[in-house]
Amino acid sequence: MSRKAFLPGCALPSYNPQAVEATIRHLKNIYPDLSVVQKCCGKPTIAVGQAEKFAERFAGLVEDIKYCEADEVIVACQSCMKTLKGCEDYKTTSLWELLPLIGLPKELVGKARDSDVVFSVHDSCSVRDYTGIHNGIRWTLAALGYKFVDPPGRARDMARCCGFGGMIVPVSPDIAQRVMRRRVDDFPTSKSVVYCAACRSSFMTVGADSWHILDLLFGDVVYENTPPPANVLASPLKAWGNRHKSKRLINTVMK
Amino acid sequence: MVFSQTTLENAKAIAENCQGSHRAFCASRCPMHCDVIGYVNLIGEGKTTDAIKKIREALFLPGTLGRICAHPCETVCRRETEFNQPIAIAALKRYAADMADDESLWDISKKPQTGKKIAVIGAGPAGAQAAIDLAKEGHDVAIYEKLDVVGGMMRVGIPEYRLPRNLIDREYTYLTKLGIAINLGVEIGKDMPFNELANNHDAVIVANGAHQGFVPPIKGAETGGITNAADFLKSVSLGDKNLKVGKNVLVVGGGDVAMDCARTALRLGAESVNLVSLERMEELPASKHEQTGSLDEGVVFNLGWGGEEIFSENGSVSGIKLKECTSVFDAEGKFSPSFSENTQEISCDMLIFATGQRVQDVTGGALAQGGGSRYDADKDTLATSVDKVFVAGDCAGATIVVEAMALGRKAAVSVNRFLAGMDLKEDRDLDNEYSCETALDIPLPEDLQDLPRKHTRELDPKARIGSFEECDLGFDDETALQESQRCIKCECKQCMTECIMFNEFTQFPGMMFEAFLKDGKIEPLAVYSCNMCDQCTIVCPEDFKFAALFGDLRKDMVIANNGESPMAGHKAINMHQKLGFSKMFTTRKKGGK
Ligand SMILES: Cc1cc2nc3c(=O)[nH]c(=O)nc-3n(C[C@H](O)[C@H](O)[C@H](O)COP(=O)(O)OP(=O)(O)OC[C@H]3O[C@@H](n4cnc5c(N)ncnc54)[C@H](O)[C@@H]3O)c2cc1C
Repeated sequence: MSRKAFLPGCALPSYNPQAVEATIRHLKNIYPDLSVVQKCCGKPTIAVGQAEKFAERFAGLVEDIKYCEADEVIVACQSCMKTLKGCEDYKTTSLWELLPLIGLPKELVGKARDSDVVFSVHDSCSVRDYTGIHNGIRWTLAALGYKFVDPPGRARDMARCCGFGGMIVPVSPDIAQRVMRRRVDDFPTSKSVVYCAACRSSFMTVGADSWHILDLLFGDVVYENTPPPANVLASPLKAWGNRHKSKRLINTVMK
Repeated sequence: MVFSQTTLENAKAIAENCQGSHRAFCASRCPMHCDVIGYVNLIGEGKTTDAIKKIREALFLPGTLGRICAHPCETVCRRETEFNQPIAIAALKRYAADMADDESLWDISKKPQTGKKIAVIGAGPAGAQAAIDLAKEGHDVAIYEKLDVVGGMMRVGIPEYRLPRNLIDREYTYLTKLGIAINLGVEIGKDMPFNELANNHDAVIVANGAHQGFVPPIKGAETGGITNAADFLKSVSLGDKNLKVGKNVLVVGGGDVAMDCARTALRLGAESVNLVSLERMEELPASKHEQTGSLDEGVVFNLGWGGEEIFSENGSVSGIKLKECTSVFDAEGKFSPSFSENTQEISCDMLIFATGQRVQDVTGGALAQGGGSRYDADKDTLATSVDKVFVAGDCAGATIVVEAMALGRKAAVSVNRFLAGMDLKEDRDLDNEYSCETALDIPLPEDLQDLPRKHTRELDPKARIGSFEECDLGFDDETALQESQRCIKCECKQCMTECIMFNEFTQFPGMMFEAFLKDGKIEPLAVYSCNMCDQCTIVCPEDFKFAALFGDLRKDMVIANNGESPMAGHKAINMHQKLGFSKMFTTRKKGGK
């Protein structure tokens, strides 16, 4: 069997370190010799055009994967998916396409059967061509027992951007907010589910309730009157605090 | 700043092939390139005032053209080519004009006076358009018109029941508002020699139309009671007291002019009107609308016949012998009618030939006349062999009003260049000056339905022939709204409807990158406002990879900026990245033994 390394990315650890930990525990049950690397893939540098810096950064990540002697990487971040896809040394699998294959922790299956929420599914535009990921997300929601709908004509490969892409938020906050609001208007219901923590933050920024799929997987069951988790990524201090916490949690589970 | 080869090549591909600059079928076919989609959809949004403003950007005669434009645009409307149900573009134009053409909206701004004097011969649409364009350039323009009225063939050809005269007068006040001198009742070549006119002006535009009726050489045609369409309709329009219309009128011709003559004769009290044409129904040149109008009013069509001999009694026409026409065109499509032995005779006491009009020279032979009697001129510039003399309108090859206007504009462009001492042809966008093809190639909307064309209200045919009152009553509000909403907006705005960012910086990507290549620079804010979501590429008929191009531009900008993003807002990323790679926030844990 191949040696696998899990990469939670940046946004997810900054948003929800407990979810990172829970994911690792689940993966470790199936792949006992799982490795974990928490490091940025360098995507922000390439997004602003720093090709040289990116090469340097990305090499840093690759070095860590090498250190782990992994030949397959499991990513939770869609940007990581795209940056790593170009690297032929590793098989890259998205956590979201993997879940249907390995299953959910048994005790979680059907836990939200009684929930009265209907989630609008937001697909990440960066993986618009990855049908396996789209299917995996829907499979997971169904397995948990949640009801969900697609934004008509604007799902999967036709999904519209959450507004965060291309590092435009610090440059054109007004345009970014308009893109965010437009995406929210695509949703047929008032609550959305995403699989990118940055997408979630975008929607929360414009006042739309949103959950990360790992919130639903490992957190309490969400009902119509459940408030969404705070917009942690809006506060750099909290986000970095979480990222640090995630590192500590990883170090603990991986002892 | 230096841009990479990849950047430049991809930008060039977009600048050259982006369909955003391609005109819609309607607007490219319109010789004046009126923004049809623009105004039709404004009507559809209930913004009639904005619609008329849009129309007036291209046309000074919206009410007139809304009634009588031969609307070549409608023949290429996608709803015509797909379903034979074109948008009623002209009728919608009329609706906007009738509802909202307030004189306070007219743009009477001009450039500063140049002191140059220009003479225009003829107050038809060609002369008027040329005069307007030149007056707006600041030149001193005077029109010389033989008749005591303005409008040319719109006034003395097109019958009043299709085009009320007060409307022409009202729309022509635009010229006087611009300070154009209109000298009525001055016939050049008679009241003033052409040379004198030319000597007293810096440039001359000859736009005297084609007013000489043509009677084919048929045996017996020299008798009384025979006239031609141009003379007949002019007499009627000018209220000629001596005009007597026959009891039994026969019109020869199969075009719109023939229909005008037939329907006019009915209104003047003719008891019967027969129309004779070589062409049969399917090949009749007259528009369907005019054919139906004529038939409804009681005109009798005799199609597929040609005149052989005219009979007369007491020096006046009494009838005509016709022979059957078996084909109008030869194998090469040239006009060359052939006939069978079949004949018939129709009696009549008035015979009108609506078989074409010719150009009558007003220059005393200064300009040569060629094919179809038009003046010889360079077709791209309308310059003639005579220095400072240009031609426009029907006498230069137009056949309908909107073409005449476009040629008026073309002549004005040439005059402007001539006066500025510029080359008449260099860097000239000729497509912009007349009907042209569009390279637009976009898919039809997926959910497109065949919705039938809406029709305007009309006077009852029986009531119609009692007077010269306008037959067509136009659209009511509700119908105009419904008709305009049928427009499928054939223009490539695919990415523009998807992308918020593009709309902030350009009208379409081709324009953005054309400017980039021309200026050698592009606004960094635009480059850095792309979400890189590829939504534009998904809908782009050319499949352009805009995100990749913005990515390459960002790389170029970073290189030019010592390895940093040029956007101040990105400063924080450096810190984030430092932290994201620092020991404090990273970890690697190798699994297994
Ligand atoms: C019966 C008829 C019906 C038509 N119907 C339509 C229609 O429905 N839709 C459409 O689009 N087109 C129609 N047309 C064609 C259209 O009228 C002409 O294409 C258009 O008017 C040409 O414009 P112009 O300015 O070149 O010439 P004109 O409109 O003919 O104007 C030329 C002017 O020059 C003046 N002039 C002539 N000689 C002299 C001189 N020596 N000195 C001073 N002035 C002079 C004339 O009096 C006239 O006013 C029709 C034409 C006819 C004959």
